[in-house]
Amino acid sequence: MAIIDLRDVSRVYHNGEHEQRALDHVDLTLEEGQFIVILGPSGAGKSTLLNLLGGLDSPTSGTITVDGKDISRLSRDEMSDYRAATVGFVFQSYNLIPTLTVQENVALVKEIAPHPLSSHEMIDVVGLSDHVHHFPSELSGGEQQRVSIARALAKNPKILLCDEPTGALDSETGVMVLKLLFAMARQRGKTVIVVTHNQAISKMADTVVRVKNGHIISCEHQDNPLTADEVEW
Amino acid sequence: MLLRKLWRTLWRYKAQFISMVIMITLGIGMFVGFNMEWYSLETDVNEHLTATGFADYRVYARSAVMGSLTVDDLFTQDELDAVRSIEGVQEASRYLSVNTSVKGEDDVLALAVSENISVSGFTLISGEPYDPESLDGLWLSDQYAAKNGIALGDSMTLTYSGYEMTGVVKGLIKAGEFLICVPDETQLMPDFNSYGYAYISPAMLNAVKEELLGPYRLAITLMGKSIDDIDMYFQINVLSDLDKKTFTEAVDRALDNTALVLGRDETVSYAEAMGEVEEGKTMGSILPVLFLAIAVLTMVTTMHRITANEKTQIGTLKALGFRDGRIMRHYASYALMIGLMGSALGIGLGYFIGWFIMNPNSAMGTYIDMPSWRLIVPPVCWLVLVGINAFLMGIGLLSVRRMLAGTAADALRPYTPGRMRHLRIEETRAFKKLNFGTKWNLRDCFRHKARSFMTLFGILGCVILLIGGLGMRDTMNVFVNAFYEGAINYRQLVNISTDDRTAAEAFCEELGGDWSAATSVQFRDKPVSLEVDHVTRDLVRFLGEDMSYVVLEDDGAYVCKRLAGEFGLKAGDKVVVSPYGTSDSYELTIAGVLRSMSEGFVMTDAYADSIGLKYDISTIYTNEETILKDGMVLNVQSKEAIMKSFDTFMELMDIMVAALVIGAVALGIIVLYNLGTMSYVERYREMATLKVLGFRDLRIGQLLVSQNLWLTVLGIALGIPLGMWVLQYLIDALAAEYEMIMSIQWYSYAITVAITFGVSLIVGLMVARKNRFIDMVAALKAEE
Repeated sequence: MAIIDLRDVSRVYHNGEHEQRALDHVDLTLEEGQFIVILGPSGAGKSTLLNLLGGLDSPTSGTITVDGKDISRLSRDEMSDYRAATVGFVFQSYNLIPTLTVQENVALVKEIAPHPLSSHEMIDVVGLSDHVHHFPSELSGGEQQRVSIARALAKNPKILLCDEPTGALDSETGVMVLKLLFAMARQRGKTVIVVTHNQAISKMADTVVRVKNGHIISCEHQDNPLTADEVEW
Repeated sequence: MLLRKLWRTLWRYKAQFISMVIMITLGIGMFVGFNMEWYSLETDVNEHLTATGFADYRVYARSAVMGSLTVDDLFTQDELDAVRSIEGVQEASRYLSVNTSVKGEDDVLALAVSENISVSGFTLISGEPYDPESLDGLWLSDQYAAKNGIALGDSMTLTYSGYEMTGVVKGLIKAGEFLICVPDETQLMPDFNSYGYAYISPAMLNAVKEELLGPYRLAITLMGKSIDDIDMYFQINVLSDLDKKTFTEAVDRALDNTALVLGRDETVSYAEAMGEVEEGKTMGSILPVLFLAIAVLTMVTTMHRITANEKTQIGTLKALGFRDGRIMRHYASYALMIGLMGSALGIGLGYFIGWFIMNPNSAMGTYIDMPSWRLIVPPVCWLVLVGINAFLMGIGLLSVRRMLAGTAADALRPYTPGRMRHLRIEETRAFKKLNFGTKWNLRDCFRHKARSFMTLFGILGCVILLIGGLGMRDTMNVFVNAFYEGAINYRQLVNISTDDRTAAEAFCEELGGDWSAATSVQFRDKPVSLEVDHVTRDLVRFLGEDMSYVVLEDDGAYVCKRLAGEFGLKAGDKVVVSPYGTSDSYELTIAGVLRSMSEGFVMTDAYADSIGLKYDISTIYTNEETILKDGMVLNVQSKEAIMKSFDTFMELMDIMVAALVIGAVALGIIVLYNLGTMSYVERYREMATLKVLGFRDLRIGQLLVSQNLWLTVLGIALGIPLGMWVLQYLIDALAAEYEMIMSIQWYSYAITVAITFGVSLIVGLMVARKNRFIDMVAALKAEE
């Protein structure tokens, strides 16, 4: 079943007299519960696509339907509510609140998510039960990224949006994080969308979307994706 | 090229730049303004006093002090010569000043004659120069003339002891002796509508002598003299550099009698003007210094933040090959620019504040009457200005040096604030129950201690200024009300001159009044007042230490709080006083302590009689409206006229309070806005994260505002007691002039809390509004 549907979506940035088409008349449909990888070089438009899906930005034209709801023309508060209920973000630079502990960073979302999950359980899922009282600055990069995944999961969103989640990690830690994200799709039925320029990750994907110069140049389904352990990093 | 970068840096941090310039401007403006006020006052007053030959010492005949004048107390030419021949005396002049009534008016005019006008003279403002031979010339106070519509050439008739004399106004003047023109020290402010002064020549005094001394003809004949032999002076004014003890001893030897000698410090004019200077010094030493300290400390925090934000740029310059010294100078010049701009604007503001408090049309101008109101910046202010600019540059240099530490690669790394540590309070159960916003804010405060401390300091400053200003007004109000509104229970006071007690008592009965007698006594080398009161009709009241009215008992004398404090006197103690001009001394038992306007002792007539004190009744208090100004009556003052002068006094107070309140609000807004913006910039990424997670703008705004509000609550909680402490300090510093008790009304607390909260909330909302414009994408892409 399609969870994301983009119809004729464009995003144009104006920089003085200069106009930049980050996305140019894009159509895309993505299925629920899949591990999806969006691939492309720098400046291709993949992050713009992710931002539009995550409700961080609105399209200049076209419609974006997520889980049956058109999010392309929402007000600021409606957009906030959409982000709180439907999507979870995982960033390359983790973006944890430095003054809150691991447990508090994860529990934070209880204040906004309509159906949050237990923060303790999510911390357990990412294997950080021993670090609940640590501050982010007391954790390694991989551990911080796992906290950010736990935080994204605790909102109980349908979609996990991950922007270069392994970009700042060594390969071993990166594999561990990818395994975790993969498991979220397989075991919990989340739609996990990973934006990356790392070709290797695409081998794990159910669907690989290739973006270039603001256009979707391909959207391929893979019947037998590899596991993280099987991928040659 | 670096200069161009400097301008861009300046533009980039324009909010910080502007707020820092304003803070330094306000700090320096307050400091320079308040210090300029007392310094200019001191200089201008001293120049005026020197120019008009304000006497260093006044030698009084005993009776002049006791209230009634007798012929044997007048100073002869020989006595003047004896005083003049004292080594160390530069100039001396026989002098007379008596209160006369203006015919056809209710006004009182002090009439002065100085035999040698270079001593206790005046500055001519307009009209004819002083003529010592003039037989009808009046040289009148220009202020009195202006208030009463009197012009040069007008005639005035003055009444003294029933005798009338008429003169023509030949000149309008300002006299140093009447610098603060009040009839006596119980009146706070001059009121030229009803009280002024005029000089006549010795020749004119001589011409009216016959009439004045008529009643004493017999006594004069019995002394073997004629009226022609007698001159009407009961005071010798002296210019001398001698210290008081040496001078007094020399005078005693020269005149062969214990005369009353009063130094400059013991005259109302000089003491009150210098009291005003001291008040200015006190005010200038606390509140403006607090302001300046806050400005400089805020600058420390801001410069540190700016250089922290610029760290990668600083690193880039270093990596490019710029030497540390060059980079340090670059950023130090940014700090110096703030300092120089702030100083220039601050001096301007200082002149404005100085002018606002000290100009001839201000309340100060109503208080002090002098010709020149030049504003002069005290030298210490220039030193402070240089010091502040050097310090600000030092702050700039040190802030950059921290960012330049280590290799170029180290410098290139972005600045990271201190590592998060668990707080002690996190162990408590209460902390665990706090919501995330509270924990977030609490830890943020501890993580950015300098910023939080500065915010708190700014709020504290705001509260202290408000409590100090409003509390001072309340205290003065309570004091003035208790002293005048409450203690003056009569409609009029009548000053009389007679040594016939029976007649005076009869006159008092006729007026249905109470009476008092005032005299000067020596108490431990100090001239103080001794007042004997006969109060049966409750027309005069006395204030106790706790500001309640005390009924005087007949078993002892009451001492004023100042003397009690200075000499550690309490009920039951015994003291000895000696009236001037006599060799008598009296032992007084202290019955209690009173708050009083004048420094001295108060007792009932019953107690005075029981110790055998000699005195003449000098004042009658009455509710009668019509009093005939003849016989023993010197002059009459209405309660209304006395009260009117306090309105001006309170007006001066209101101006100071208004300045403090405006200062407090400005301080609060600027410090909170500057630090709030800083906090916003530092937490920008965190707020972007919250926004991405799905927090609404309003909720994020609440988080930001709540931190300010907590610090405000803490600032108010600490600021009120600190403000009270500062107020008490100010009251203590003013204790030499006013025996006040600190009283702050509930509404002053309410105004303080409301203004502080209002400022905090408004600034919080101004900063919180910015979160609508957070660019989530850009913020989260940024490097950690």
